[in-house]
Amino acid sequence: MPQIQVTPLGAGQDVGRSCILVSIGGKNVMLDCGMHMGYNDDRRFPDFSYITQNSRLTEFLDCVIISHFHLDHCGALPYMSEMVGFDGPIYMTHPTKAICPILLEDYRKITVDKKGETNFFTSQMIKDCMKKVVAVNLLQTVQVDDELEIKAYYAGHVLGAAMFQIKVGLESVVYTGDYNMTPDRHLGAAWIDKCRPDILISESTYATTIRDSKRCRERDFLKKVHETVERGGKVLIPVFALGRAQELCILLETFWDRMNLKAPIYFSTGLTEKANHYYKLFITWTNQKIRKTFVQRNMFEFKHIKAFDRSYADNPGPMVVFATPGMLHAGQSLHIFKKWAGNEKNMVIMPGYCVQGTVGHKILSGQKKLEMEGRQTLEVKMQVEYMSFSAHADAKGIMQLIRMAEPRSVLLVHGEAKKMEFLKQKIEQEFNINCFMPANGETATTVTNPSVPVDIALSLLKREAALGPLPDPKKPRTMHGTLIMKDNQSLRLVAPEQALKELGLSEHQLRFTCRVQVQNPQSEQDTLNTIYSHLKSVLKEHSIQHLPDGTVMVESILIKVSAAAEEPSTKILLVSWSYQDEELGGYLCTLLRKGLPQSTG
Amino acid sequence: MEEDALKEDELDDWLIESIKLYSDLHVFELQETTQVIEWTGEKSICVAGSKSGSRNEILELALPQRLYSKQNQGLCPERDFKVVHGGFSDRPISCLKHIRGTRILVSSGPPDSSLQLWQIGADDSDVIKPLHCIHNKEHTKKWSRIATSASGSPCVLHGSEVKDIQVTDLESKKAIYSLDTDNADSVSSLELLSKDEFLLCSGRGHLWLVDMRQPGSLATPCTVLPQGEGLHWCMGIRNRLSESDAASSRVARLSSSGHVLVTDMRDARSPLCQAKLNLSCESSDYNIMTVTWAPAFDDCLAVSGFNGKVHIYNTKSWIPAFTEEEPLFIHKGHAIAEGPDDWRSAVVTTHVWHPWKPRTLLSAATNGSLHVWDWIDQKMES
Repeated sequence: MPQIQVTPLGAGQDVGRSCILVSIGGKNVMLDCGMHMGYNDDRRFPDFSYITQNSRLTEFLDCVIISHFHLDHCGALPYMSEMVGFDGPIYMTHPTKAICPILLEDYRKITVDKKGETNFFTSQMIKDCMKKVVAVNLLQTVQVDDELEIKAYYAGHVLGAAMFQIKVGLESVVYTGDYNMTPDRHLGAAWIDKCRPDILISESTYATTIRDSKRCRERDFLKKVHETVERGGKVLIPVFALGRAQELCILLETFWDRMNLKAPIYFSTGLTEKANHYYKLFITWTNQKIRKTFVQRNMFEFKHIKAFDRSYADNPGPMVVFATPGMLHAGQSLHIFKKWAGNEKNMVIMPGYCVQGTVGHKILSGQKKLEMEGRQTLEVKMQVEYMSFSAHADAKGIMQLIRMAEPRSVLLVHGEAKKMEFLKQKIEQEFNINCFMPANGETATTVTNPSVPVDIALSLLKREAALGPLPDPKKPRTMHGTLIMKDNQSLRLVAPEQALKELGLSEHQLRFTCRVQVQNPQSEQDTLNTIYSHLKSVLKEHSIQHLPDGTVMVESILIKVSAAAEEPSTKILLVSWSYQDEELGGYLCTLLRKGLPQSTG
Repeated sequence: MEEDALKEDELDDWLIESIKLYSDLHVFELQETTQVIEWTGEKSICVAGSKSGSRNEILELALPQRLYSKQNQGLCPERDFKVVHGGFSDRPISCLKHIRGTRILVSSGPPDSSLQLWQIGADDSDVIKPLHCIHNKEHTKKWSRIATSASGSPCVLHGSEVKDIQVTDLESKKAIYSLDTDNADSVSSLELLSKDEFLLCSGRGHLWLVDMRQPGSLATPCTVLPQGEGLHWCMGIRNRLSESDAASSRVARLSSSGHVLVTDMRDARSPLCQAKLNLSCESSDYNIMTVTWAPAFDDCLAVSGFNGKVHIYNTKSWIPAFTEEEPLFIHKGHAIAEGPDDWRSAVVTTHVWHPWKPRTLLSAATNGSLHVWDWIDQKMES
């Protein structure tokens, strides 16, 4: 039976990273290759030993697909391609290709330089990995090889995020990655057509979450900034080069006038060039509104946001500063943090996850006293705020997506099956489809029932059409034809005569003959007449003819009478039919064996 | 597209305005409108669908960390509800109560007065399983009001008309008390004060304090009401202090014309204070009128069910005479919430207070919105 197998790689129930293997139509595809940010050792990488114990992955995988640039989806990519080994194609959208290496490099720096880790990929590995990347456009069908094709759909969530359809013949799978069904200030909502995949793969956590609106998160950010600035304090926002920084700048810029904020807003220089680059990508990927508002702008020029200079950190009075790097582990953001930490009027807003060991992680854990270089202690009196701005789909969103794509079944990863019975029932009852929930490391197998398309010869179609009304999908009708499969490619249904001609075969006819003995004193001729009358009275629906050459024909079945040589009152009836009339022929034999009615004269 | 742009602008205006009005605001969108929000623990609530003619969901939602952490709230980035348990109901759910100390829920809804019992998370699964039904001694076509005990004894007080009010023991499934009367007025609100006493408010606004230890028929109602035919009334009880203090409860009764009467049960002959609220019922469904007392903010009342807003009043300054009173705060969010096109006509279906955060409420409306908001007391700020 044709089947599709899906295995989420990873141990236990941990959610932190995405890496899913799909086997479809004889092809093996890896969906995402994420890093688990919570671990400091090899557990942060997916366990590739499931695929192969010792060798490279190239021969086992046909391709790798990366949905978007978040590290829990692409963080392990250089490790996989350069340290474990994969030389095949890696597919992702253009913005993802542009942004991924920057984030990977930033992350590498923190892990290796700051924490002195050794089993980690190098800068060169990141570069080598990106050389294997093939960028794809939205809604463009990409042929990976003769049989495997993929297509990217807009997912919202972050710049460049896509949902992917993987298709082999008529079997297909859609992987959602991270997506969002509600448009926000910068990005539109995810969209997919009624592609009816065999399986729709998504995150189980979405289905069990009811999300607070993006506006409320933004409100919280604006309120905290406003309050701090009003009391004369300074706000530090450590950011990575790309992504959140631009989003928050747009937010502050949009509301600055309305909120009547007077304090200056600064953006550290390291961010500006990369931001321009980001912006160019942004325009094609973002929604209508942003395009209208920002297409006139000359890249990253805001009315209220200016470039930062180191010396400004010592200026009195309120201000807001966006500075890199994002986890306060080094550089400008840490420098500013040290200056401002001692004043309780100030605030630091962390817009994302911080890795263990960084100052960011420590203050988010509530630490108030930090040990700095040279045994110096820093007392943290400034207010610490941890905010989450990620736009993810939720319970309502996943139902909407299922309604859009109309999959034959749904598969949810990273959930505990026992804790998801309700969800399973909900999806199964609402859409009348199966819902699977494999544990990490466990394989879920779906049996598919793909239709096999066959070309039918016009003459055969016409013949069938002439037989009566066209068949109804609810009432299929059997038909006769010959299926020709050539070169393992095309399948054609043709009339038998045509098939014989094409194949250069001659037709064989099969005829059966049966001898029936009956007792009848009449002459041969009279016996034949008796048979004729008898059959005519019994088989009213069939055509029965008495031919001049001395045979009775029932449909196309021939009956001849001859007297037995030794006993003239024993008559031997020869009943002959071609195999198409097998049923009637057999019936006639049985009927005649019962004997003939005695004639009365 | 134009309309979308206008709506976006209006939502942004509300966003800016809300910065000064709320210290915290969360806006959620449920798949189905709920008429109930019931606390099932310090960190969880239950909501349920109220659609007739189709399957409804009962969901137990875990509060986001931000809403229950007592310190370092700033370090909690989690703002979302998590669906921890769910179940299906064939009938719409108009009333849902949790039996304290257990994992049992009791619900009621059209088309009749029977009650349904549910088990949350049996066998360590995430399913809310239906258990069995309880029927009133007289089966009616109106859905029953339900009251559960604060002390967690496994019994439930219920009724759809005054004459069919009874207390049923959940273990034996038998009625252990029933009211002796032939008063067929509809029941609007019920509250079990202790294992022996309960308060009953009829749709016509009559209020009774019933002592189950004293047999005999129903006494005359406690207070006399200003007349107005066709009005519907409901009640809200100020938090029960202790079992022995049952009779010292303070009761607020709300009419569909915006009249509020506050009665102290120690002297129920005349109202403690009353007020005329500037509210008119825009909705035709009297059943969603709700009046509640704040558990952690003395003398504070919340009123909803008239329109898309929730009104907060401070009754401290109210007087016995019938006077117009202005609200302390109005939550307008539901009528502006991001929802389907008919968001302007959204009506608040229910609201509850947070058990210990003084100014935090949870409210739901007919457009599927669910809000959690912590309003700023402007009088205190200035």
